Amino acid sequence: MRQLYNRKQARTKWEGKPSPTIKMVNNTTHYLNRFKACLKIDRTIRDGVAEELCTHLEDKSRELEENGLSREEADKIAVQSLGSPELVAQQIYETHAQGSWKEAFFSALPHFLVALLFASYYWQNVVGLSIILALTVSIAIYGWHRGKPIWLFPWLGYYLIPVVVTGILLLNLPQEWGWRIAALIYIPLALFAFISIVKQTARRDWLYASLMLAPMPVIFSWFLTLGTGNEYLTSDIWMARLQAKIPWIVISFIALAAATIGFIRLKPRRYKIISLLIPPLVILFSVTLASRGNIEFWGWLILLFSLFAFATPVWMQAREQS
Amino acid sequence: MNYGRELLKGNTDSLLLCLISRQPTYGYQIVKELEKRSNGYFQFKEGTLYPALHRLERDKLIDGKWQTLPNGQQRRYYYITEKGQQILTTRLATWQDFSTAVEAVIQPETS
Repeated sequence: MRQLYNRKQARTKWEGKPSPTIKMVNNTTHYLNRFKACLKIDRTIRDGVAEELCTHLEDKSRELEENGLSREEADKIAVQSLGSPELVAQQIYETHAQGSWKEAFFSALPHFLVALLFASYYWQNVVGLSIILALTVSIAIYGWHRGKPIWLFPWLGYYLIPVVVTGILLLNLPQEWGWRIAALIYIPLALFAFISIVKQTARRDWLYASLMLAPMPVIFSWFLTLGTGNEYLTSDIWMARLQAKIPWIVISFIALAAATIGFIRLKPRRYKIISLLIPPLVILFSVTLASRGNIEFWGWLILLFSLFAFATPVWMQAREQS
Repeated sequence: MNYGRELLKGNTDSLLLCLISRQPTYGYQIVKELEKRSNGYFQFKEGTLYPALHRLERDKLIDGKWQTLPNGQQRRYYYITEKGQQILTTRLATWQDFSTAVEAVIQPETS
């Protein structure tokens, strides 16, 4: 049965109708496919549990057949005795989806570090910033090559931010040929890397993609409220505005850290969605309102892009559930 | 509220630990053993057994290992860990005390 289950797409015709064996395999395959479709956890664990359920179905079917039932009937009863695949998947998810306090803390650590960076005014220190950036990149690369543990995704989000910011800066530098060519080469490469990382993360779980992208709308919305166009990086007004908003920025990142801890520690999937959605959306709307239209067209574009990137995985999840 | 079901729910982990402590075993065998030893009293949707087993494994009370049988079939056997054995001993002692106390209360008074 397992060989046939592994060859999921195997279908033959038996006098114009599916043969009884194929019908039986379809029952099991259908059950296991429904189970796997509902279970958004690490693929290795998911396949292991599906294999375990498959063995259980084999044992049960064999025993029922030995008691005189036809193979088709035995298979049907075996599948029924396991109960709803959605319910089993949900219970397995709740067992594996809850991270430890250590994982929760390490996931929230990048948000705490950013909050600390602003609270201590260390963001003005180039050496300090470079150390934190190098640390973030190293941790993100380490986690990516170590089986993508749950704590990796917020770090990965911060790893992607310089990639996006460099693209934006290239678009805003003086329109000389050198910079134009650099932008033409860099932006498609950066977009490719960005989309590829988001796709690989979403393949594991849609919600992890949102967890990863959660800092983006927050950072860009604060960034855009501070100034427009050429004011960036050069103007004293920009610095003064930033100084005035630092307590709020710190609170934003602490809220993001709290949401991340909630996401890791909560078991039911719907609570994870709520914990993920509320803080970034509240921060995003509050800073957008605070800017009072002080954002240019391209600023809105970046903001919408980051919001879209953050919200799409959650939306895909909701669509899958319905 | 089904009282029997609530009782079973509250003691599923102890029952599973108890069976696994006797000999390494796998999911389907556990279902059969529970049914046999309880004379059919413990019957539940078999799919709910696996979340319970995985929860115990997550808490490091049992350890699951894939094994290949002589006929080539693979099965996941569960073994009790040292931590699981300690927890089981404590729970069994608590259960014995509880059960003795309940029995002492509910048995008719003899004058």
